[in-house]
Amino acid sequence: MAGSDKPQDTAKTDLEDMELNGMVYVATVRSPIARGKILSIIPPVLPPGYRIILPQDIPGENHIVSFGTEVPILASGSVSYLGEPLALIAGPDSVRAASFAAAVQIDYEAEEPLLNWESFSSGQVLAKRVAVVGDPDLAFSIARQALESTFTTGSIEHYYSEPQGALACFDYDKFAIWCATQWPYHVRDSVALVLGCKASEVAVRPTRLGVHLDGKLWYPSLLACHAALAAYLCRRPAKILLQRREDFLYTPKRASSSISLRAAVDPNGRLSAIDARIAVNVGAYGPLAEETLSQICLAATGVYSCPNVRIEGYAVTTNTPPMGAFGGLGAGQAFFAIESEAARLAQFLGEDPLDWKSRNVLKKGSRLITGEVLKDDTKYDEIASKLALASDYRRKYACYELVRKRRTDRYDGPMRGIGFSFAYQSAGVFFSGGDSNVYTVEASLDKDLHLVIKTSAAASSESVRRIWCETASAAVDIPPESVSIAPPDTDRSPNSGPLTLSRGITVINRLVERVCTAIQKKRFRDPLPLTARAVYRLPKPVRWEEGHVSGQPLEGAAWGGAVVEVELDPWTLEIRPVGVWICADGGRIVAPARAEASLRVAAASAVSLCLRERLPAESEHISDESFFEYGILGANELPPIHVELLQGDKRDESKGIGELPFNTVPAAFLAALSQAAGMAFHTIPVQPADLAAPAAEAAGGDAK
Amino acid sequence: MLVSEIYTPKTVEEAITVLSRYPDALIFAGGTDYLRDQADVEISFPREVLSVAGIPELRQVNLTERFLEIGAAVTLSEILELKENAVPSLLSDALRGVASPAIRNLATIGGNLASGSRFMDSWAVLACLDTLVEARDELGARWINVNRLVSPEGKPAIPKASLLTRIRIPIDPWDISAFKKIGPKNYPCPESAAFAFAARADKGIVSDFRLAFAGERALRLREIESRLLGMRLPLSQKDRKQIQSQYRATEDPLSPGLRLQFNALIDGALDLLSR
Amino acid sequence: MTISFILNGEDVTVGIRSGDRLAPILRHHFGLLGVQTDCLHGVCGRCLIFLNGSLVPSCMVPAFRARGGEIITIEGFSQTEEYRDIVDGFRQAGLETCGFCETGKILAAAALLEKRPRPVPEEILVAFSSVSCRCSDPDLLVKGVQAAAELRAGRLYRRARQ
Repeated sequence: MAGSDKPQDTAKTDLEDMELNGMVYVATVRSPIARGKILSIIPPVLPPGYRIILPQDIPGENHIVSFGTEVPILASGSVSYLGEPLALIAGPDSVRAASFAAAVQIDYEAEEPLLNWESFSSGQVLAKRVAVVGDPDLAFSIARQALESTFTTGSIEHYYSEPQGALACFDYDKFAIWCATQWPYHVRDSVALVLGCKASEVAVRPTRLGVHLDGKLWYPSLLACHAALAAYLCRRPAKILLQRREDFLYTPKRASSSISLRAAVDPNGRLSAIDARIAVNVGAYGPLAEETLSQICLAATGVYSCPNVRIEGYAVTTNTPPMGAFGGLGAGQAFFAIESEAARLAQFLGEDPLDWKSRNVLKKGSRLITGEVLKDDTKYDEIASKLALASDYRRKYACYELVRKRRTDRYDGPMRGIGFSFAYQSAGVFFSGGDSNVYTVEASLDKDLHLVIKTSAAASSESVRRIWCETASAAVDIPPESVSIAPPDTDRSPNSGPLTLSRGITVINRLVERVCTAIQKKRFRDPLPLTARAVYRLPKPVRWEEGHVSGQPLEGAAWGGAVVEVELDPWTLEIRPVGVWICADGGRIVAPARAEASLRVAAASAVSLCLRERLPAESEHISDESFFEYGILGANELPPIHVELLQGDKRDESKGIGELPFNTVPAAFLAALSQAAGMAFHTIPVQPADLAAPAAEAAGGDAK
Repeated sequence: MLVSEIYTPKTVEEAITVLSRYPDALIFAGGTDYLRDQADVEISFPREVLSVAGIPELRQVNLTERFLEIGAAVTLSEILELKENAVPSLLSDALRGVASPAIRNLATIGGNLASGSRFMDSWAVLACLDTLVEARDELGARWINVNRLVSPEGKPAIPKASLLTRIRIPIDPWDISAFKKIGPKNYPCPESAAFAFAARADKGIVSDFRLAFAGERALRLREIESRLLGMRLPLSQKDRKQIQSQYRATEDPLSPGLRLQFNALIDGALDLLSR
Repeated sequence: MTISFILNGEDVTVGIRSGDRLAPILRHHFGLLGVQTDCLHGVCGRCLIFLNGSLVPSCMVPAFRARGGEIITIEGFSQTEEYRDIVDGFRQAGLETCGFCETGKILAAAALLEKRPRPVPEEILVAFSSVSCRCSDPDLLVKGVQAAAELRAGRLYRRARQ
């Protein structure tokens, strides 16, 4: 099948479809051990056209830098996880290249891998965070009631639309990279570092991203370096595209967490003390260790006001692939724990969680753990009452509680439960990419009143792209069809930073608005064509030092809640999700129908996490079986999902809300399940065997 | 890639000839079971493959007053599309839960029954219904009760070097029946299993009772089933507890997790009979 | 071995090996990029085709089974009026996909409407269980197919009247 000479000629927008004449395919030689030393790498005899690429062949540095952490391109000497890239095989047939890669002989000295992270050695600690507010020890000592639980979350596969990969080739005087990435400038800088050339000599052109769930933040840069190396050394276009199974086994997953919470309440049922001990597994290298830990620790006390708090968190490294972001950086894990604990507290006190949370939730003016005061209104009451109305929560909660308490066996009335949780999604701008943290969007208006927006951000969906166009069209007062977005290209588009944490809305969209407003202003003075730039500087990050945390982590946060109702099949104890209700305050919503759709889609994934998704507990070797077994919920397995957005004011800022379902649905689900089953759970998904045990006892011994 | 010889016979006769010459040939219909454990882009086949999906004799469906006869290469989708009262609801419930419509368009009933490694969803139902399956080899054809396709250890035991050609399902109606699938729905694991039960009553007395459970191992306990015969419906507490404890007392190769679920399913069946 | 079959309305012949899956043959030999080789497990739905009128994941079909058969991929299907009904119906309902699963979703909808011209929501969602994607919005999937069903019914009615 004939390819073309230039990728842009193929008119193909997906990396997987791009084929160039004379292209070589790159296969990865992977470490057979999780930890140890590589002594030698001996390829099989390779036919002409095929070559092996070893660490010593790298012209520049043998690493990329991700958030300040160095991650090797090709591990040399020691390896840190099973499957870590050691070398590459490049050649004209991808299947043959893969079989040669598998046939490479590797001599090694294996060491005992570090797989334990819930209890860990100090050598495994990559980051530590401690914050103390008030006097928690005293508060616990005088508290009359205290509850302690440990919640864990497992590792999750992104299952993004397209497996990871990159294509590299010489393009006149540039080195061109095509890659589906959330961060084109990071790809550029990484490739320049590895090839030992100037950043301006590398042009990165993002391909269609599809749904990424934050799985393509920094790892594509590593693969881009692999493709670039092959193209550079073979003097041919080179493409690496992981097989789905390979991607499943060896690319970053969501960091798993273990959070122990101890919470005390005063005689009025108000939170008086929270002690949180957090361990998060960031895998090998842990490039996102600092930020992940920071986000989890900040969200450890959730949405609650508490005068005495102690948070101690550790980001732990293990000999598994690097782990990190998934629909956010870590807040989801924290909310799972604190909201589940809050539900248990409320139940323990015999109170409807909706009411208990209302009494304890942060309000405008509440003091945060940073010592600052919350400037915004969380709108808890409005959100909670809308959810309660839509889902009929109060009646159902009371009814299911009654049934739960009186149940004698499984067939004694339906086994149903309903849960509610409330959380926030932080503005996502307190996360430093380890780069300049200055992001730019440019726009030009020509004489025919066509506006072109230039940004390196590759919108993850048509919806987001259209939102930018509509924002621009409103600001410049031209029809949306007259607005276009220039294909992102680091050579031509300014650096707009990593597209994560809803920055498509919070950063890029605002920049689009500002730059277009600037153009509109200029129009009154200057003739067309006009160009303008808008620059955004990330605010000061949250700082952790000496037992304090300072900053404004909740500035611009979006608040929201979820209700989840479940039913257990009395025969099989299969968990059936009956309904999910989401309500969020996203500030000014640019495109309500699309915002609702994106919340529904995120909620669908969140439900899937509750019912099915979990990678096997960290082990040295994840088998093909686990790849086959892993699956996301099918369209016919999802419950009805209802979304309501609060009406925002025109003057409000738009907020990112895409992560809210991940921050709210799991804990609401767990609470619902606990009520339905009459048992406490501490992780998701819940296995039927865990449900069956006590129920079986009840059924076996009963006399009806 | 090992080069395999693919035989595509046009008749059952031809297929048997190939099979008798190559008894270890892989019988390939829809292939969804065989390919389930393969992850590479190139399929790994044994030296001989017998492709039977297109043999017209294996794709017939015959409905009589008492039986539904389905060719082994009829797909699960095709069975689900037969007219409603032709297929016992136990079977359609089971088949509806298999994978997705696209996979069901490929997967065949013969393949679902003949999986060598474990029992797939149809076995429990077909065993419960005392389905007969026709197996043909060079010595001729014989009908085997599906319940006998099980080794003494409870694992699948398909006759070697034979071609399953059709299944014959009795379609006399049942008064009470239920099918339940447990475990991960998207891929068969050790924790996946299917459960089917059916009961008939004549003037309030149990005249027939069947119960089958199968995952990696199959379980059908006829001695207990026969104890239910003659009991009055709705079951009394005493009768219910008696049967419950008999099932619980059996020694069988189920894992603890599956055992718990099996007990729960028995309870469910008995609960239905107690109402 | 050599096999011949009808591909998107044309007679074709191709040499295959015994262990070849149909999907890579369609994609690489015939250049039909609408057939993707992704999960290789019949789950993601990106390799869906019509084989002898039946919607199947072509990654789960050995190439030898194509012999003498008739195959329609999205490239062929996109020339039909049914395709227009579906694409227009999806658009009317505001159903957008991430782009990668679009082919599978269109073909799954087509297979459904062929058998059930007026599907109920549950049938629609079951049909889409042949496609596994993070971008699936159950609400809009149902509305999209219902809109497509309307358009299809209208078109067939008008044709019958002529």
